[in-house]
Amino acid sequence: MNIIEIENLTYSYPAAKSPILKDISLQVEEGDFLAVVGNNGCGKSTFCKTLNGLIPHFITGDFEGKVMVGGLNTQESDVGTLACKAGYVYQDFENQIVRPTVLDDASYACLNYAMEDYRERGLEALSLCGLQNREEDYIWQLSGGQTHLLALAGAVSLRPDILILDEPIAQLDPGHADKIYGVLKDLNEKQGKTIIVIEHHTEYIADYCKHVMLMKDGKIVWKLPTDEALRRVDELKECNIFPPQVTIAAHRMKTEGRLPQEQPLPTTVREGKEAFQALKYKASSASKRSEGGQSEPVVSFRDVSIAYRSVKGDDRMVFDRLNLEIRRGEKIALIGSNGAGKSTLMKLMVGLLKPSEGDIILDGENIRKKKTENLSQKVSLVYQNPEEMFIKDSIKADISYAMQVRHVENYQERTQKLLERFRLTELQERDGRLLSGGQMRRASLAIGIALNPGILLLDEPTANLDIATRKEIMQTLSDMKDITETVMIATHDMQLVCEWAERILVLNQGKVVADGTRDEIFGNQAVVETVGIRPPEIFSMGQALNEKALCYTVDEFMQSFVEA
Amino acid sequence: MEIKVKKKLSENILEKISIDFLRNQVLKNAYGNDDTVIAKLDPRILLVWYLFVGLVPWFVNDLWFLMACFLLVLVTTKLARVAGLVLLLFAVGVFTQTGYLLIVSLFFGGNASTVMPLLILTLKVATCSLASITVFSGLDPDRLSNGLMWFGCPERLSFSISYAYRVLPMLMEEFQNILLSYRMRGNPPEHETFTGKVKYLFYQVKVIIHAFYPLMLNTAKRSRTTVEALEIKGYRYAAVNKAVKKMKLSTLKVTYNDLLFLAVSFLWIALSILASVIF
Repeated sequence: MNIIEIENLTYSYPAAKSPILKDISLQVEEGDFLAVVGNNGCGKSTFCKTLNGLIPHFITGDFEGKVMVGGLNTQESDVGTLACKAGYVYQDFENQIVRPTVLDDASYACLNYAMEDYRERGLEALSLCGLQNREEDYIWQLSGGQTHLLALAGAVSLRPDILILDEPIAQLDPGHADKIYGVLKDLNEKQGKTIIVIEHHTEYIADYCKHVMLMKDGKIVWKLPTDEALRRVDELKECNIFPPQVTIAAHRMKTEGRLPQEQPLPTTVREGKEAFQALKYKASSASKRSEGGQSEPVVSFRDVSIAYRSVKGDDRMVFDRLNLEIRRGEKIALIGSNGAGKSTLMKLMVGLLKPSEGDIILDGENIRKKKTENLSQKVSLVYQNPEEMFIKDSIKADISYAMQVRHVENYQERTQKLLERFRLTELQERDGRLLSGGQMRRASLAIGIALNPGILLLDEPTANLDIATRKEIMQTLSDMKDITETVMIATHDMQLVCEWAERILVLNQGKVVADGTRDEIFGNQAVVETVGIRPPEIFSMGQALNEKALCYTVDEFMQSFVEA
Repeated sequence: MEIKVKKKLSENILEKISIDFLRNQVLKNAYGNDDTVIAKLDPRILLVWYLFVGLVPWFVNDLWFLMACFLLVLVTTKLARVAGLVLLLFAVGVFTQTGYLLIVSLFFGGNASTVMPLLILTLKVATCSLASITVFSGLDPDRLSNGLMWFGCPERLSFSISYAYRVLPMLMEEFQNILLSYRMRGNPPEHETFTGKVKYLFYQVKVIIHAFYPLMLNTAKRSRTTVEALEIKGYRYAAVNKAVKKMKLSTLKVTYNDLLFLAVSFLWIALSILASVIF
């Protein structure tokens, strides 16, 4: 039975010149797990909002065609009725939570729709979403992943048949991402919910989804079973969607004639094991080594302790006697789950937080006595959320601000150079907040290096970006290697870690549990498992074929595995 | 002396009383004390109680009665475990309102006839303030807004109260980060000399004002989702549905403790009236 039926839907936003959705027709079967993929701005989110009635009831505009959801015509029903049919979880899910405690928020919608059993429904939804025993907690006690589960629970409590999630894992570490998809799988298989996700991570699509729908310029290009969809490598790439690395590797081998033409492309590591079984591992000597001996340390942490004030009870200890040395010229990736202390470590280095005990030595000087504004010539921090770095009304003013107030000579010239380098010249008069995700990131990087700091700290530079923009930012980061000396990146993005970092620090519960090159980290099964690191898929693929294989990119994989 | 005070002031604004500290105090005040005797009371009982101790002292000039009221709210404030910052603000407030007059008049040869009226006024102000503190910070915002709703306050008001507490920590965090941006990139004037310190103080105030612009824009960006989410969650439906109000209020229950609280307060006040009649 079809739970969603759309006929010739065309929609344009109020005052828009051309429609954003063009003549869409679609059927979704009950119990499907559908991934919606497509370029930025192709209308994915708009499409999803037509399903729960926000369009056309809350957001008006020109609406033509017919949308049937669970047997109801969305134009004839109101948002309330439709909310009980289709639940929606936003990409910026934390703004969707309106009540202070967990159970309160989960049952809030049920209470508003005057359902007598609102409490029970809230409790039920929480246990379905794996948040049992957190009912009485306040929302700021939850981690990012748990907050997302709560937003989901808020939608589930109305017992809708359909759940729609906009980029559910964009901000989460791999551990939490797996958890979210685990919950969605349960809801799909055990509760029979139809699930629609907007998703860029094709590895997750391959593992969990049943169908994939590709959108382009407001139209549906196709809707196919997942395997078949992910094998259309060229079509996906054209829309800036990157199929799983395993599929890309197989596709390239096929084009080079190294795999038989009739063999279907694998989409998961499991399928890959079969597809690549004929290949032999050839140890390559070209493994990357950090060249040069030990340079002098630029930052040293000596027995640093810091705690956060908590609302109730004892303060929360983040670091307890942390010792760490960072050397000149190192390219360091800082990894670890949400809340492991990555941001705290960076804020300590720029002097935004002061350690309660211990010392931080920067260039031979204790930073305890230095003022933050004097440190910024030496260390610079780029926030995870670029919006918080825009303090002026144009990005040009933002980039030049630090230089201008310090009376740097030819600061205007330098600003122009930076704008050019980060391809922002055209946008220089725009307010940073109104730029696209990738542009905002580039602007924040330009602000970060404006004062030419010796040490650059980046907090999650690729979070919340679609894969194409992520690749672009990764390229920018590689290009920046020659103009920055010491760089530290805190990230969950293992592809970035593998392709960029020379040294990897693994933080777990305020302690450095591993420190070394990527071979030392990813090759160490114990570390990978205790901290819950998810290596890039192609690495797992190599490992599955041969335990000795340590390949981090598709290129390396292609070189390491050859025909027998 | 003056230089020292100025120095303190200028350092305090951004460094000592950090936004982080304020945020923590706001949260502590709202939710950090939900296990106290006061927080467990029925909000309606507490509001009725507040109506009495918050209003009646204004119309009575009897010292015994005022003293008793003052002691009563002192005890309830203690029981409510109010956050330190709020108490400090209270102390500063009362002192600048009337307290300083009291001390000044004592110093400049005031006698009982001048001190008495001032003492009474101070007591009145202090009692009402402490009573407000007990009720508004002892109760968590949700219970408070439910209580208000029972007395017929519009749903929108009570929602705003609890929603304000929901977004306040978020706003303050955002504000803090923006201020940190200024701190990292800005170049405040040297503040070793006295004039430097005055300049620094002005600089800091200017930064705080400037920081509001990005804060507002970022908040506007966030609230788009919130508004849509509220629509989906049926906020608008609930506002016009009587049944919802009834369900919300059904969680309120008057218990033995509430009656005990009322009885003890009543007895205490009665004793004070008795005392003033006898003496």
